[in-house]
Amino acid sequence: MRELLQRKWDRASRTYDWVTRADERRYGPAKRQLFERIRGRCLMLAAGTGNDFRLFPAGLRIVALDVSRAMLERARPRAAAYAGGLALLQMDARRLAFRDACFDTIVSVCTFCSVPDPVLGLRELHRVLKPDGRLLVFEHVRSRLGPLAMMQDLLTPLSRRFGPDLNRDTLGNLSRAGFRVVREENVYLDIVKAAEAVPLAAWLTSASWRCSSARL
Amino acid sequence: MIRDDRAFAVMEYAGGALTAAATAAAIHAVIDPHWDMVLAMVVGTAIGAAIHILAAVALGPFVGMFPAMASGSLIGMYGGMLFAMRDSMQDVSWSQSLGVAVVFGVCVVAVVQLYDRALRGTSIVEGGSAGRP
Repeated sequence: MRELLQRKWDRASRTYDWVTRADERRYGPAKRQLFERIRGRCLMLAAGTGNDFRLFPAGLRIVALDVSRAMLERARPRAAAYAGGLALLQMDARRLAFRDACFDTIVSVCTFCSVPDPVLGLRELHRVLKPDGRLLVFEHVRSRLGPLAMMQDLLTPLSRRFGPDLNRDTLGNLSRAGFRVVREENVYLDIVKAAEAVPLAAWLTSASWRCSSARL
Repeated sequence: MIRDDRAFAVMEYAGGALTAAATAAAIHAVIDPHWDMVLAMVVGTAIGAAIHILAAVALGPFVGMFPAMASGSLIGMYGGMLFAMRDSMQDVSWSQSLGVAVVFGVCVVAVVQLYDRALRGTSIVEGGSAGRP
């Protein structure tokens, strides 16, 4: 399974920058705003060809992962140009080789649209994230608007062959994996979203939980 | 940033008009007034759906994959159905067919852009790092 995934993204790496060039310009400001919330030791998933590295605030310590070696090869010059510490590693998001609770922030950009078992992957992130850490996600999800959702459902069997699924419920999967979404922003329609999530246990002990309970 | 937004908006309109014109042209070439209307509508929807995939792949690098697909799918599927219904009912000229398609494509893009503006923004803020830099 991992080899298939790796081969798919190795192939996609040849045209990735061309295919996503408008998306990079279009969503760059929203991603930069999201990345401003990064604190402490940071793990980035699906580094791709490293297009997002230029959007990170300077001076961070980041470990960036991708399942595809070809993607990482293309990302290498961009990682070297980053004004901070940025290490690249080839790794599957579902099996992270890190000890428990070792990252303050995890950044996921268009990752869980293509991880075969997204809830398993998100549980793995939950494991390596510190209890008071935060998960920042920038993902495309299934629309709640019927005609668009139908289009996403119809196209997913095709898009899956070359790239991501189009109809994932990634924010719902966050809840299933033990996270609580504390901030959600629509970036394009209700399809492209920026969100922040925290471990549910941390949220339950936070002031916002007590405020929510008081309102009930 | 603002210049980028405007450029993308203009390209989305152009892409919508092109997708609609391509859909109408393909349907006009296939369907004529002898067709049964229901069959024509089904075939028109299928042609429109196929064309919107090609249009999304072609336009994605210029306007963004989801903007190209969102407008394109509505134009392809619903436009395809309507153009086919019209072509099965009456004999229209190529210029009328393409002209109406361009207007339809521009209208769909305008609706999608308005809907995007209405939806844009933060919908949940609950603790987290909201308000912090």
